[in-house]
Amino acid sequence: MVEVFVNMGQIRALKTEGFLTTVGLGSCVGVTMYDAQAKVGVMGHIFLPKQRPNDRDALPGKYADTAIPAMIQEALKLGAVKHRLEAKMAGGANLFSNLNPNSISIGEQNVIAVREHLQAAGVPITGQAVQGSHGRKMRFSVADGSVTVTAIGKTPVRI
Amino acid sequence: MNNSARLDFLKELANIGTGHATTALSQMLHGKLFRLVTPDAQMLPFEELAEYIGGLEQIVAGIFIVISGDVKGYMAFLMPYESALLLVELLTGEFDGEELGELERSALQEIGNIMITSYLNALSKMTGLLMIPSIPALAIDMAGAVWQSVLAGAEVTSDVTLIRTEFSAQGKAIEGNIIFLPDEEDFARVARILGLEAE
Repeated sequence: MVEVFVNMGQIRALKTEGFLTTVGLGSCVGVTMYDAQAKVGVMGHIFLPKQRPNDRDALPGKYADTAIPAMIQEALKLGAVKHRLEAKMAGGANLFSNLNPNSISIGEQNVIAVREHLQAAGVPITGQAVQGSHGRKMRFSVADGSVTVTAIGKTPVRI
Repeated sequence: MNNSARLDFLKELANIGTGHATTALSQMLHGKLFRLVTPDAQMLPFEELAEYIGGLEQIVAGIFIVISGDVKGYMAFLMPYESALLLVELLTGEFDGEELGELERSALQEIGNIMITSYLNALSKMTGLLMIPSIPALAIDMAGAVWQSVLAGAEVTSDVTLIRTEFSAQGKAIEGNIIFLPDEEDFARVARILGLEAE
């Protein structure tokens, strides 16, 4: 079965079956969107919360504010219906936790931004494994919408 | 300065910096020989950064430092987990080589600190510019997650200049990378001070 790897800043979509996988989520947030009826799945690997003025040519998937609308567009292109989309998210950790302990980590800023933009777009969040201080891997089955999150030294969780 | 001259200059900086860093480490390890691999200076588009370090699911120890002062930037020191264990064992002598506790973690943090500080001191002396390292932050995790957190911490945008030097010791048992992500504008100033670029 096909397995597509989603790198930092990328958005990838599949229909009917296959896996969308992203490895090495640290402060980045992996987001999936799924239409269970159309069996359409999209995954994004978001790097930072907000597009920089000096980075206008960036991939839309790099920043939360541009990634969420772009992911919805990708889902619609494959036949998803917007009001049926459900999202899951993982990552947003703070690996270097003793650096700037008094400010909001980039991981947390990413999580907040993703939630905000999903809410603004009206896509509910049905599962999440976020924050903490460890990296994660996310594997999304487009056949059934399940997402498995693994981390070093931890039991995999299904969200 | 054209791009290739610029990258050559960066390699030279990396050579000097890493030379000092590994000398400092050698001294801590009672003179055990370190071998440096020729530094690699590259300007990479964001899209290619994720793949730059390879082995995204391997466990690594990563140390991250923010540089402030006249030259701003970020430095990371990445090494495979096995190398980190060996290094701690060589340094502390009593370590059982199994799992890293608080003591071993702070030893690793200190190693990173000494290496990065030596690297920066060498560059400071050469340029007369101040470079102040933050306290080192340590993470032991999947390489991809550590690397990605370094890049996000550095808030890299489009084309990213990075300088990497590999080193090894004890045959090949200990290996690692020192990566320097200089601020573009500050870097141009360094080049001017060294007479490599016209005002």
